[in-house]
Amino acid sequence: MRRAILILGAALAVIGPMLPVASAADKIHVVATIPDLKALTEEVGGNLVEVESLARGTQNAHELEIRPSLMLKLRRADILIENGLTLDSWADVAVQGANNPKIVRGAPGRVDVSRDIQVLEVPSTGVDRSMGDVHPLGNPHYSLDPGMAPIITQNIVDGLARFAPEHRAAFEKNRQAFLARLDEAMTRWTKAMEPLKGAKVVVYHPQWIYILSRFGLNQAATLEDRPGIPASPAHLTHVIRQMKEERIKMIIVEPWNDLKLATRVAEEAGAKAVVLASMVGGVKGADSYIAAIDHNVNALAQALR
Amino acid sequence: MRVLVLVFVVLCAVLAPAAATAQDAAALRREIEQLQKQLQSVTERLQRLEAQPPAPAPVGPGAAAPPAAPAPSAIDLARPRPPYSLYQQRGAGQLLFDMGIAGDFVGNITQHNVEKAQGGTFAGQENRFFPREVELSLFGQIDPYASAVVRIEAGEEERGGDIAVHLAEAYVTLLTLPFGTQARFGLVRNRYGYSNEIHEHDLPWIDRPNVMRNFLGGEGLNEKGVEATFVPDLPFYIEALAGVFNGDNETAFGRTSLRAPLVTGRLRTFLELGNEHALQLGMSVASGQTAARLPSTILGWEGRYKYRPDGWLHPLVTLTGEALYSLRQFNVDVDADGDGVTDSLDKKHKNRWGWYLGGEVQPWRRWAGGLRFDWSQYPENPGAEQSIEPYISFWPSEFLRFRAAYKRTDRTHRDGFDLNGGSARTVDEFLFQASFILGAHPAHPF
Repeated sequence: MRRAILILGAALAVIGPMLPVASAADKIHVVATIPDLKALTEEVGGNLVEVESLARGTQNAHELEIRPSLMLKLRRADILIENGLTLDSWADVAVQGANNPKIVRGAPGRVDVSRDIQVLEVPSTGVDRSMGDVHPLGNPHYSLDPGMAPIITQNIVDGLARFAPEHRAAFEKNRQAFLARLDEAMTRWTKAMEPLKGAKVVVYHPQWIYILSRFGLNQAATLEDRPGIPASPAHLTHVIRQMKEERIKMIIVEPWNDLKLATRVAEEAGAKAVVLASMVGGVKGADSYIAAIDHNVNALAQALR
Repeated sequence: MRVLVLVFVVLCAVLAPAAATAQDAAALRREIEQLQKQLQSVTERLQRLEAQPPAPAPVGPGAAAPPAAPAPSAIDLARPRPPYSLYQQRGAGQLLFDMGIAGDFVGNITQHNVEKAQGGTFAGQENRFFPREVELSLFGQIDPYASAVVRIEAGEEERGGDIAVHLAEAYVTLLTLPFGTQARFGLVRNRYGYSNEIHEHDLPWIDRPNVMRNFLGGEGLNEKGVEATFVPDLPFYIEALAGVFNGDNETAFGRTSLRAPLVTGRLRTFLELGNEHALQLGMSVASGQTAARLPSTILGWEGRYKYRPDGWLHPLVTLTGEALYSLRQFNVDVDADGDGVTDSLDKKHKNRWGWYLGGEVQPWRRWAGGLRFDWSQYPENPGAEQSIEPYISFWPSEFLRFRAAYKRTDRTHRDGFDLNGGSARTVDEFLFQASFILGAHPAHPF
């Protein structure tokens, strides 16, 4: 009998530490292509999900290098949440290397959150590369607009509930709680941006149209000659002249773009070059979705005041 | 006792269907509740979409709709604008697969002697500029379970000859196999080592490293057959590959039959040292028979390191190296009586090897410079060669690249590089390359 108790005790001692692991293993493994979608999935999924992002906030989400470490993340994923609109097409290469049938294109675990988004800057005529690295389906940077969060999170709820229908109510509850917090923040942001309506800004890469439209700001020019094409001296001269003529006070720079060049142009034009969070984690402190928008709105308000 | 048993049996017979019915009813109720929830969700979505203004949807009562843009100024009107429209719906006229064209033109200038001996990097094409590879790629999903890639290549294979068009790759990848496996069948560039599977226009240098050309031929290992990969569910990345092919590669194998197939294997792992440093290591094997039905095996080792400072769009430093070791059996003529006539054939083993190591520095997005050192024996002939190749690359955009290099090759023997009375024992070459991509091109792996 003593021996049996000893064996049982030893078995419990071995199995005991594994129990929390088992509980973590019960979580839904979600991989998001960009940190914005990771942050929003965490808000919706709460403690039922474990989320990883393929891209980091400081990276250029257009051109991610496909490392096998991305494939490792995808190997265990139950769900892959992607931005769509050709921003994260590189994910296909990583998925192919991950050998995980749950998230191949067309599988229930593949969730494209651009569904129902009203896309801006959709080419209305034929496009080719003479226009630069144009997104043929329209501007894919919609997650920068907090007004798009209800649609994105609804798509996330639907995607998660497809995998775990028994948790749909919990996901929906989390979503509502998040949207309530976002509403409060939105009131604050709208108030801060109200006096700046109609102000013009120059952007380095044309990825800010959604947040600019949201708060009534106008994109007057881009530092890139065309999307993805580095500026020629003639183009920069034109932009500087335009900024002076139109008294534009700000150049928005992505964390991954050339801040030195933007600062030089801004100084020439008597303006400021300001780095905004192009994704969650793009700048210090922007470590949640609301914090990232907070940073961007405060930086816009400060620079344009 | 019998009565008790009888009563028990009767009770069981009566209650069992009732319990099953109750279970069915509970399951049905749950299903109905689930359907109700889904219906509610769809209804909410419909209502939200119907209520949406043409502008992006506001968060809630606190959010104001974006204001109308102010009237454009004369400068606004004069400025050329991309052909954008706002809020246009998507969907119509989409092609169900992607296509792209990659063009790769190369040129070289070298000594007259080398041209006569046809001993340059592009043998037979010395002192010429020519289309090495213009490739049409078609790729996409076949159905939810498989994807396909077809590549058709055209290029000048002979000096001043017609442009030859051939099928470079055509394969299907089965994506939904169980247990972390994936299979690919068709005509493929074999995943053997680092550089073999890379197409000419995507190589980090103008030419394939000497050791790859000497041991696998100018085209590399490009075979028809089946290969499968396995990625186990481990805390670190490791990919195991096994393949069976015809063995059509004339340089290394050439048996061309599944009765004595070419069997390939590869193990690849990856170490990420923080966000900035990454190292990929692998080893490969290809084993088959030569046209003379003698065994031939090539072992390969590969390594690739990248240092990309955080936030950079490109790596600052890249180091790449590969080594091949060939174990091959040959027929050797035996002249037993010394009369100059072959009396019999003897089998002899030849173990040969070679390697290369390259480093590249890319301090600016559009410019990179590097150096590659090659050392290689020949699988059949005696002797060895070594090359040093500094190069510089310039990308006007992501889709266009120019590259120039100087390559110095020293060979221990003139034999094999002495056609038409020339000599290519020492070769100095200026190489240049222009590559472009038109349309779709999949992202590059590490």
